[in-house]
Amino acid sequence: MRYTRIWLITVIFFTALVLAACGGAAEQAPAEEEAPAEEAAAEEEAPAEEAAEEAAAEEEAPAEEASADEGDCSSEEVFCVGLVTDVGEIDDKSFNQSAWEGVQIASEAGAQVDYIETGDAKDYTANIELFAQNGYDVIVTVGFALGEATAQAAATYPDIDFIGVDQFQGETIPNLTGLLFPEDQAGFMAGALAAQLSESGTIAAVLGTDLVPPVVAFKEGYEAGALYMNPDINLISTYHPGGLDVAFTDPEWGASTAKQAIDQGADVVFGAGGKTGNGALIEVAGNEGVFCIGVDSDQWETVPEAHSCLVSSAMKLITPGVGELIGMSNAGEFPGGNFIGDVGLAPFHDFDSEVSDEIKSSLDEINAGLMDGTIETGYNPG
Amino acid sequence: MTTQTDSKANISQWLMVFWRSAAVPLVAVILALLVGAIILLISGANPLAAYSALAKGAFGTPIAFGRTLEKATPLILGGLAVAFAFKGGLFNIGGQGQLLVGAIVAAAVGFGIDGLPFIIHMPLALLVGSLAGAVYGAIPGALKAYTGAHEVITTIMLNFIAINLTDFMANGPWKDEGIVARTPAIAEAAAIPTWGNIPIGFFFAVVAALATWYLLYRTTIGYEIRTVGFNSNAAKYAGIGVSYTIILTMAISGFLAGMGGAIETLGVVGRYQPGFNAGLGFDGITIALLARTNPIGVIPAALLVGAMQAGSSQMQFDANVPFQIIDVIQALILFFVSADMIVRWIIRVKPEEGEQVTLSTSWG
Amino acid sequence: MTTAAVPKARSRGDYAKIIGLIFGVLVLIGIIYGYITNPVTTTAVLASTLRQSTPLVLGALCGLIGERSGVINIGIEGQMLMAAFIAFLANVYTGNLFVAVLAGFATGAVLGAFLAFMSVTLKMDQIIGGTVINILALGLTSFFYQTGLTTQGKMQPIPLGPLADIPLIGPIFFDNPPITYTTLILVMLVHYVLFYTRWGLRTRAVGEHPSAADTVGINVFKIRYINVIIGGGIAGLAGAYLTLEAVGSFERAMTNGRGFVALAVMIFGKYTPFGAWGAALLFGFATALQTQLQFAGQLEIPHQFIGMLPYLLTIIVLAGFVGRTRVPSAVGKPYEKE
Repeated sequence: MRYTRIWLITVIFFTALVLAACGGAAEQAPAEEEAPAEEAAAEEEAPAEEAAEEAAAEEEAPAEEASADEGDCSSEEVFCVGLVTDVGEIDDKSFNQSAWEGVQIASEAGAQVDYIETGDAKDYTANIELFAQNGYDVIVTVGFALGEATAQAAATYPDIDFIGVDQFQGETIPNLTGLLFPEDQAGFMAGALAAQLSESGTIAAVLGTDLVPPVVAFKEGYEAGALYMNPDINLISTYHPGGLDVAFTDPEWGASTAKQAIDQGADVVFGAGGKTGNGALIEVAGNEGVFCIGVDSDQWETVPEAHSCLVSSAMKLITPGVGELIGMSNAGEFPGGNFIGDVGLAPFHDFDSEVSDEIKSSLDEINAGLMDGTIETGYNPG
Repeated sequence: MTTQTDSKANISQWLMVFWRSAAVPLVAVILALLVGAIILLISGANPLAAYSALAKGAFGTPIAFGRTLEKATPLILGGLAVAFAFKGGLFNIGGQGQLLVGAIVAAAVGFGIDGLPFIIHMPLALLVGSLAGAVYGAIPGALKAYTGAHEVITTIMLNFIAINLTDFMANGPWKDEGIVARTPAIAEAAAIPTWGNIPIGFFFAVVAALATWYLLYRTTIGYEIRTVGFNSNAAKYAGIGVSYTIILTMAISGFLAGMGGAIETLGVVGRYQPGFNAGLGFDGITIALLARTNPIGVIPAALLVGAMQAGSSQMQFDANVPFQIIDVIQALILFFVSADMIVRWIIRVKPEEGEQVTLSTSWG
Repeated sequence: MTTAAVPKARSRGDYAKIIGLIFGVLVLIGIIYGYITNPVTTTAVLASTLRQSTPLVLGALCGLIGERSGVINIGIEGQMLMAAFIAFLANVYTGNLFVAVLAGFATGAVLGAFLAFMSVTLKMDQIIGGTVINILALGLTSFFYQTGLTTQGKMQPIPLGPLADIPLIGPIFFDNPPITYTTLILVMLVHYVLFYTRWGLRTRAVGEHPSAADTVGINVFKIRYINVIIGGGIAGLAGAYLTLEAVGSFERAMTNGRGFVALAVMIFGKYTPFGAWGAALLFGFATALQTQLQFAGQLEIPHQFIGMLPYLLTIIVLAGFVGRTRVPSAVGKPYEKE
């Protein structure tokens, strides 16, 4: 036992010494007897020993160190694409995932791709920097919240092309393209479909939060589309009452709210709000005779639990948009400024027979009208 | 305790004291990293690669180190807020709400006033933000003092209210031009600068920790707060105004949390934007517990957690390990630090008299 | 007891009772009026009230069983989340909802045992123990979350024959999925066990005065262990409710603070099952109401202010006439055998 103890003391002192040599972080605090976690903080550095030594030598040239790991992003021949998510995960069945699938199109064409999930909104810049400093050629950032960080990085790294999904560009930076979608038009189509499917005359929308502009655009478009088809339609829609950190990850609220809407006669429910909206879709699936409409991508693929109600989805085609822009960058034709992606309704899948030809042709008309500007959604972001 | 004659004895004595106070946390961290490594192995990742990338991202470069300090700053203040309330016998779960209020009010002072010199504008924004946190913290204090409403409920409720309130302000009266819900950027004179890569806000947090310690252990008010926290009946008989003390405790606690939010706005984000301060207040609970509610201990605890948060992106990039593993390791560290029976059984160090922490007596 | 103190105490108690009674009658009148003028909406709101309250009641029951025996449980959030995750996985891999519910219950119970181990055996601080569970559950479930797992769906309502056809009450109380029914039964069961059985008496004795309980031969450690484990199981049921009954799939961090609200509900309900149920219903009602107000869309106030409603209402009610809650006196203190 005594030996164990001595052995452990040795190990710990050794790590403490290494630490001190590295010019440790937490030493300044007075050696208070009751400040036990202090050394804990220092201990965390222990594995840093090797990394720190390396880093000291190469902090001016971080790109070199990447070539040791991944190989070759800084070299001319290798085309590297990195993606930084908004707060959330790459597999969110929503915009992060769609954008990543777009990046993977580039991967099939031979590019080297990687992603970083952002856990804290204040890390946007640092995460973009990780790719930039490792010589990536294209960096995709997903979500309007990264707009500022992306614009700054684009100014710092003029040789890298940046794609900002949902990021409006007020002024044109040649190596930064904002990929934007007229969500209100997709919402308009969904609303027009919903109004024609509804027999009760009441349709609902269960939404994320109005802090996110695309959600507002979807909602306004949906309501305008429904009223365009049927001016007497009863619209019941609600935003999640929580903050940004919960508004898109609260499927239970989505389900409860959808149920509350169905209980008062809604027979079409538009779920637009990440996992909150998905909760609404799955809830609707358990109710006979009620349709649901998904959002962003074709949710037939992402929410199979909702197959029994999912008539269509109001899509913004992030995946092809991102893929196309990466291709343009690779070909040296990167546009800069704003790039408008496509929106539209997803296929009806199993409901193809239930959606009458009359409805289909009216949707085609509306689509054409939206395209040539004869129909306006009335959504006008401040 | 000094032996001037024999310097060797002196050193070994010092080592023993150091060992006794540091052994448990050190071994706790090692154990937590070991268990974390096992989880990483199970998930098919390489723990060594993960940990060294983590360390590199936290301390590898001056920039990384600066980011660790930046991350630690709100954690220190959030931890202090919880720890301070604990000393007064109150469980402040409302750090998040107080922090949000502090952050948005500091932003309002930052962008709302133009033309002040830095020497006035920055301190003013910081102070007003912190005071807003204090006011928001004093509400549950007053409710507790005058109606008996339990602070755990009221602070949880006030967290939700603060989210709604700040969302409304940032998407309403104080909204920036354009479609994004956020306030305008603060004036340059209101920004807390960095010194090289070192964020100055970090030093404010350290000063706040020292001041909190001084207030608690070297002033009459601190004595009264601790007395109320220890036994409010006894405090009443000793002639301490219990209601007043409760409100004051919560106000100071809110001040600290609000200051954390204000520094985030003025030193890191540069404006108030919903979602940018998520979860910071709740991390404060972890920090306070890790530090065993000692105001000075909060600093290393926050540095440890801040380092892990700062390094997590590098870990993803180099080792392809999801950042959520950080939470697991954090929980394990908290467990092993607190379950010192386990650690002491492994390394056979006897506990000092009265070292076992009890904060839960504050529950009632 | 002095003569001066008695009338004062009585009048204060009467005051609270009268206000409570008036409040209750007002709520009843409101419901009946709502039902007469707009039966569909009223039923929808009240049914939603019950749904929103279910995880909160279960969480609160978990908390109060533990605290009545002297163990604080602020790890309810983590117990719910982990149980939600495991129940979902069990549903994915077995396809059997009953097995999945059991898995959720068992997961909660295991975490309860872990909490008991920390707070009873290791004599760790109980708030720390709960926090460990919260962070650990968040980290583990997020870390091991896999995409692409789907289930056959979720538990559907089972109407209870003719009972479900009673106007207003039928659709609200007698047309629910299984865990909701279980919750209603559990409220009554926990009340009965806590106040009318020997086990309940012992639990309360241990929570109020463990050393006295010990001297009359009650095993303090055993009582605390079993209570905290059963409580954990009930929190696990709340988790199973989320993934198997309310949503049908798992998402990271999907509890979204419901465990903490449950804690508030428990204290609000003064550590009694029916009190907790009432508090949870009030909370659920306020949430359903704020949704309904947004649906109606006639109010010209920003929706954030409507969103504050449940929380403001809770504070006002609490500060107005619920007042001080008496906490079991031994709560939070590890018991040392003498």
